[in-house]
Amino acid sequence: MTRLLLLEIKRSLLDPRYLVLAVVMPVGFYLLFSELFGAHGQRVEGLPQPLELMVSMAAYGGIWAVFSGTAPRIAQERGTGWLRQLRLTPLPGGSVMVAKVVASMVAALPAMILVCVTAVVAHGVSLDARTWAELLGALWLGTLPLALLGFAIGFLVGSEVAYGAVMVLYFGFGAVGGLWMPLSALPAAMQDIGKVLPSHGLGDVGWKIAAGQVPDTSSLVVLAVWGVACAIVALVAYRVQSARR
Amino acid sequence: MITMLSEEAPRTGETVERAVSLRGLTKSFGSNHAVRGLDLEIERGSTVALLGPNGAGKSTTISMLLGLLEPDRGEVRILGKSPRRAVAEGLIGAMQQDAGLMQGVRVGELLDMVRHLYQRPLPMVELIESAGLESLLGRRADRLSGGQAQRLRFAMALAGDPSIIVLDEPTSAMDVDARHAFWRRMERLAEAGRTILFATHYLEEADAAADRVVVVAQGRVIADGSPAQIKSRLGQRRIRLTSPEAAERLEGLAAVSRVERTGRQVTLFTADADATVRDLIGLGLAWRDIEIGGVDLEDAFISLTGEVR
Repeated sequence: MTRLLLLEIKRSLLDPRYLVLAVVMPVGFYLLFSELFGAHGQRVEGLPQPLELMVSMAAYGGIWAVFSGTAPRIAQERGTGWLRQLRLTPLPGGSVMVAKVVASMVAALPAMILVCVTAVVAHGVSLDARTWAELLGALWLGTLPLALLGFAIGFLVGSEVAYGAVMVLYFGFGAVGGLWMPLSALPAAMQDIGKVLPSHGLGDVGWKIAAGQVPDTSSLVVLAVWGVACAIVALVAYRVQSARR
Repeated sequence: MITMLSEEAPRTGETVERAVSLRGLTKSFGSNHAVRGLDLEIERGSTVALLGPNGAGKSTTISMLLGLLEPDRGEVRILGKSPRRAVAEGLIGAMQQDAGLMQGVRVGELLDMVRHLYQRPLPMVELIESAGLESLLGRRADRLSGGQAQRLRFAMALAGDPSIIVLDEPTSAMDVDARHAFWRRMERLAEAGRTILFATHYLEEADAAADRVVVVAQGRVIADGSPAQIKSRLGQRRIRLTSPEAAERLEGLAAVSRVERTGRQVTLFTADADATVRDLIGLGLAWRDIEIGGVDLEDAFISLTGEVR
């Protein structure tokens, strides 16, 4: 299983789709937005603009890393029969899936760290060591529900749909979840939707930690509910698919 | 399905376990009755061909044999154990028809990863040598030709040093040379005492490679015997000629099993073309434009299974 995990991580990191959308794009957005909105404005929770945007874009990149490492890949491997091939080895089916989720989350780390490095270099963002660790740790763990969502999608739809589906979710979650612009800048109806999205939950946990506060329970609940719901859907879909010819 | 390893212990009190034992195997997909009460016992060390037309239930049978599908009814035993357990212990290795490979990794990495999933894998050099992968190790696994990918699948099937090897339409993506090389490799495995079961819809392949041929149609075993026996039943020849003679006279010719007539065009199905032609000449019948050829397996099955279709 270790070797499978290492191979999965390696191919995740070398995937051009990952590099463009999870690494280049969030860093680019960070630089663009921080110029557009001004480096000294404030949007959320009294956080300085560069810090708030850093958390948003780190979350954003992390979301794409776990999406691109799960849904399209699982759907494709289901289609080609590679997952079936692995079932003919002693490797338990469950650990194949765990490897996928963990590998996608490992690939989220460089994407997040690079945004932080950009923020430090470009705008002199500084946090104490403990806050950095808590922030990155929380953002990283917070990608788990999204990885499970990608996992479920990979088992629910075919490979020709999976990539488009996570792409739409990626942009939708970014825009409506308050990562591109503050939730308060959105129409009221969209704010209500935004509040229950896992992307907002992830961003909000990060913003609170960056501001030296305790994350809101509501955001943790949103993430937990998404995580559990997606895990259940994923497990059921996985079992149904495995029983097919 | 998540594998559970806590299944039953091997049964005692039986003599040497058969390599494969399928009893009353039944599987339907909705209204499609893919396998209908299939029985099959395979002795250790034999090479058995599962021969049948497309849709005969071969792949479904193999999927159940490998534990990928649960039978609706019936029982599968691999060396006396459940399929999942046999797979988990590396007793059985399989190569599937067109099974995908992991994308974005190299052949060598992939094979090494698969090897490490087994407790007692074959040495890497031995795998590379027996599958002929020497020149492909640095290639991306998703950029191989059909035949090259099949060699990699073969190496993966062999990785755990299994005593039973199952192959579903193994040569379908190969050209003639690759096919030849493939069966030579299989021969070596068989000589080493391994049990080999392969599905094919080519009679010639079954004849050349197997020491026993099991014919499957409509989800059942309809014939089972040595390649020579099966060939004489399935390996019919077709004689086309133009003749004004009455059908009854032609039907009476040696070895002829069936006569089809379209105007003066006659087609004779025969188990022994030589005998039929000798008879044709000996009896002094009127005919011309003779043409002798093989029949495809579909036609052979129709004559063997009669009303089954």
